[in-house]
Amino acid sequence: MKYHWFAEATYDGLPETYPQKHPSGSVDVPASLVDSLHVGAHYRMFIRLMQQADRLGWDGLAVNEHHQTTFAMTPSPNLLAASLASSTENAALLVIGNSLALYNPPIRVAEEMAYLDCLSEGRLIAGFVFGTPMDTAFAYGVPPAELRARFHEARELITRAWTEPEPFAFNGTYTKLRYVNVLPRPVQTPPPIWVPGTGSVETWDLVLDEDYCYGYLSFFGLANARPIVRGFWDRVEQRGLDVNPNRMAFTQIICVADTEAEAERRYGDAVRYFFTRQRAPLHFAAPPGYTSIASQREMLERARGVSTEDRLRATRGELSFWEYDDLGFIIAGTPERVRQRLRELAVELRVGQLITCMHMGDLPEETAAMNNELFGLQVAPHLRDLWAEHEDPWTPSVSRARVAAGAAAVPVPTR
Amino acid sequence: MTTLEIPHVGRFDVELWESGSGDPLLYLHGYERHPGGAGFLERLAQSRRVLAPEQPGYGRSTGFESFTDVLDVTLYHRELVESWGIERIDVVGHSLGGMFAAELAAVAPQMVRKLVLVNAYGLWLDDQPTLDPFGPADEVKKAKWHGEPPQTEPTNFVPDPDNPHAAILFAAQNLGSATKFMWPIADRGLRRRLPLIDAPTLVVHGTSDGLLPLSYAEEFVRLIPDATLAPIEAAGHYPMIEQEDAFVSAVTTFLEA
Repeated sequence: MKYHWFAEATYDGLPETYPQKHPSGSVDVPASLVDSLHVGAHYRMFIRLMQQADRLGWDGLAVNEHHQTTFAMTPSPNLLAASLASSTENAALLVIGNSLALYNPPIRVAEEMAYLDCLSEGRLIAGFVFGTPMDTAFAYGVPPAELRARFHEARELITRAWTEPEPFAFNGTYTKLRYVNVLPRPVQTPPPIWVPGTGSVETWDLVLDEDYCYGYLSFFGLANARPIVRGFWDRVEQRGLDVNPNRMAFTQIICVADTEAEAERRYGDAVRYFFTRQRAPLHFAAPPGYTSIASQREMLERARGVSTEDRLRATRGELSFWEYDDLGFIIAGTPERVRQRLRELAVELRVGQLITCMHMGDLPEETAAMNNELFGLQVAPHLRDLWAEHEDPWTPSVSRARVAAGAAAVPVPTR
Repeated sequence: MTTLEIPHVGRFDVELWESGSGDPLLYLHGYERHPGGAGFLERLAQSRRVLAPEQPGYGRSTGFESFTDVLDVTLYHRELVESWGIERIDVVGHSLGGMFAAELAAVAPQMVRKLVLVNAYGLWLDDQPTLDPFGPADEVKKAKWHGEPPQTEPTNFVPDPDNPHAAILFAAQNLGSATKFMWPIADRGLRRRLPLIDAPTLVVHGTSDGLLPLSYAEEFVRLIPDATLAPIEAAGHYPMIEQEDAFVSAVTTFLEA
């Protein structure tokens, strides 16, 4: 199995009263809550943690895009990825992703991602995302009714801009360009492409038609993911395609410590902070037109792996640390326990690309660094064998080779 | 259901509420939904032929994906009226339908005999920013009505016993289609075209509309060459429901003058 280091760049200085006094963590969150110098220090911390993850043998370093929110203060993930491209050696740069409809014209994405691929010597994974409703409909004002069409038009333009050898004209509905000739072109032609989804059949068919890697990126664990991930693999089988685990990515919050008591002591507050500071009121989270009617019907009819009540309790901070763990929202404990539970999760969901969330909420850097070290040295090496027999065209060949060469240097501790 | 094919544009299967005989009147419904056979439509149909199509993208009307912008909608309405063999027609447009009605009157002035705009969208005033019509449902509901919201709002929704989610999906689809023309700001350039309207125009406005203040109606009157304001007191975004008598009387008097 492969590991991709990730953290939401959550602002860590929000007051206790935050969820009560400000019902939304996005869109209209008061800017006065955020200290810009502190944000800068925070960015440097994330860069250090990802550099450490690169040295410890992670396969990828994941960065994401959100706007007008304290939950993830990375409006351009490409900027963070650029810092990493020049200061890491081995891991893939998993930009997951750019909200394609928000770049105008979208060749901006083709250019910046090509820059990243050049700077990193071919280590880029290109993630294409719709973007959350808060990002797209509210912060960037795209009419929800147009979002999907704009996304697909941009996707076609970007892919052609990376692969067509000659300049071409592009006469789209939303973008018209007489001379498309992106320079530089990426090292990989094209880079592997990942598209995350929330369980709609439309997205499943898109990733299978185009041979993209599919990501189910939630913070609600195995039970929540079960019906959706099963649906995905059923679709892969129905279409007669290879059920290769590497075409699926999944996120999991991980809290490793030497003992279970220490895990609770060191991560308890940060987990609670993470889940209680990400509120989005319904009118921001579900504007009309954002989800297609077909997808809404599927969502309304699909069995829920985790009850709405449990999700609400999580975001209201009414769960104990070990209840978060029981529900699978986090996987916490000793290296032995964490690797056992991750193996169960990965085998059941058939996940080849695990996006490990190693920092959450207001976790101190030293604890995140400890989490990295314990996971990198005492968890990851034990799960390397999983799915090793499957091809993986969804990660860059350069990062695969370099991580494999580096991985041998990581001592696997004896039990 | 009426079907319209526009070459190189698309096919539209449109739900059409039609009643009465006499001079034709096109009624274009608001951003939330078609009102069905509401009382005010029945009363207008006592003296004329009322044609009230459901907008493509709403309810069971199809063809929404053929629209790229508001000009497409305008030309669709022109073609729709022509397909009925009608050369000149009175047009009443409410809310988002008001934007479409005004566009039609500007782009096809020969077709529109008289124009009535009712709490119409289409303009934006920097010093009077309006409430987000897609905002929190309880806030929007409160803003729409002068008095207590009615038990059931006027609608053409037909419950489906086999589909428990039908009502949710109906609302989501209708409002989702409205975002094409109203998100994030319901201004698609109509201001520049209002001065081209030839038709005598009545700008009806429920004065308690919390979504669109009266100043928006006044701006329509200022920009349309031959326009008169008809404020309706004790009514919000739906004056035809809250003050049906006053509404029908104002519209009928204007159309028959």
